[in-house]
Amino acid sequence: MPDTQWPRFMVFQQMAPGEPLVHNGTVHAPDIEMALLNGRDVFVRRPRAHAMWVTPVECIFAKTAQELADGTWLAGVQDAGGAEEKYHVFGKLHHLGQLDQLGMVEAASAPMAMKRAIEGFGGKPVLVWWVFPAARTLYSDEAEAESLFQFSESHDFKNQAFYPVITMMRQMRAKGKLED
Amino acid sequence: MYGASVDDIKQDGKAEPERLAEFEARIARGEKIEPGDWMPAEYRKQLIRMISQHAHSEIVGMLPEGAWITRAPSLKRKLILLAKVQDEAGHGQYLYHAAETLGATREEMVEMLLTGAAKYSNIFNYPTLNWADIGTIGWLVDGAAIMNQTMLARCSYGPYSRAMVRICMEENFHKKQGQEQVILLSQGTPAQRRMMQDAITRWWWPTLMMFGPHDTDSPNTPTLVKWGIKTRTNDELRQDFVDQLAPDLMALGLTLPDPDLKYNEETGHWEFGSIDWDEFWRVVKGDGPMNAQRMAARRRAHDDGLWVRQALAAYAEKHGSLN
Repeated sequence: MPDTQWPRFMVFQQMAPGEPLVHNGTVHAPDIEMALLNGRDVFVRRPRAHAMWVTPVECIFAKTAQELADGTWLAGVQDAGGAEEKYHVFGKLHHLGQLDQLGMVEAASAPMAMKRAIEGFGGKPVLVWWVFPAARTLYSDEAEAESLFQFSESHDFKNQAFYPVITMMRQMRAKGKLED
Repeated sequence: MYGASVDDIKQDGKAEPERLAEFEARIARGEKIEPGDWMPAEYRKQLIRMISQHAHSEIVGMLPEGAWITRAPSLKRKLILLAKVQDEAGHGQYLYHAAETLGATREEMVEMLLTGAAKYSNIFNYPTLNWADIGTIGWLVDGAAIMNQTMLARCSYGPYSRAMVRICMEENFHKKQGQEQVILLSQGTPAQRRMMQDAITRWWWPTLMMFGPHDTDSPNTPTLVKWGIKTRTNDELRQDFVDQLAPDLMALGLTLPDPDLKYNEETGHWEFGSIDWDEFWRVVKGDGPMNAQRMAARRRAHDDGLWVRQALAAYAEKHGSLN
């Protein structure tokens, strides 16, 4: 068997119930279940998570505002019919931002899903669009949220505010020693 | 398909100079370039070089600190150090991801590191000889890295910028836990003070070298600045670092190993002596105190992990999961 670093999976994280999911990055994993666990280990060290989704990178269908600018791609998308399935829609709304969850569309292909996403959610300028099929996504189990994620919240020492170094330096500069 | 492929040439009929002018105008407006957008081949090449070196530095950077996890002086310091080293592994993952969006594969990047074709930060080729080195790495080495990374968080390539924002947030804990230790050890018992002074004496110059060669010897810098990858030069960042750290370390009664270090009232900056560039290039070229050990440790970890990668790949194949 050839050596490998395994396929890539895209990781999305929800910080608290009711908030949109946000794209985090990718992990490598041999399968999608390991991808969810690797995603937890890489991205939930802090500060918190309520839910996590993973999907294979090749399932992401992406278009940037630049690619869509002249309208030719969109005009060429044809509805070829066939069975429709659900697609998640994510978009990047700010230059300094991440991709956020915008919602869901139903379509028979990824390009059609993209077209419907742009029609349905394109009210504000979106810089990067992603659609991916819900059926190819693995979702963390709500019932397991506590065991998967909660422990990451309890480590005060990972918070920079745990270290009173500004006060300590002020004491050192003023008095040349630390107060008890 | 997410992530630009190297041969994915956009067929929009525009001439190269016209595309380049549009690209540079976007950067001038503060827009982020995203995978899928047009970019010059040189922009992609420079980013892959920088990001993969940065990722390798996070991975190799676990070794000098990891050596002290078992010998941490208290459970508190042990848990802090464990969390910090684990963060560095995570940072390596964020960065490899950013390079992958440009068409570099993980396999290629790992290969480049293990064969010595790719570089990582020189600082990790120095040994950690006593516990005070751990505080020093946190405050000085991570402090220097944060200055560079804060700049890169504003860089023009979206995925690199986002990885950096996340890393900077986490690195602030690394820096402050180190600073707290340096403050406490510098005010501790005579033995602790000696240990602290020894660490500062050994790490001060290598930390200044982390910012890289002088601007005059850094041929890539003008292009990197023009394309918004770097927004400040090596010498500017190095000066900021000395201005911040020198007075703080001196306020703790520590001595910096530079007889030429002095504050210039007129410029408002700290002046410092010449860096030993012969030492810098010697270590870059592989002849530092720990180069051989660091590479051996990475290769051993890779070889020892082979059976795990194969076993999990076999399991995934047998069970035919979603991927």
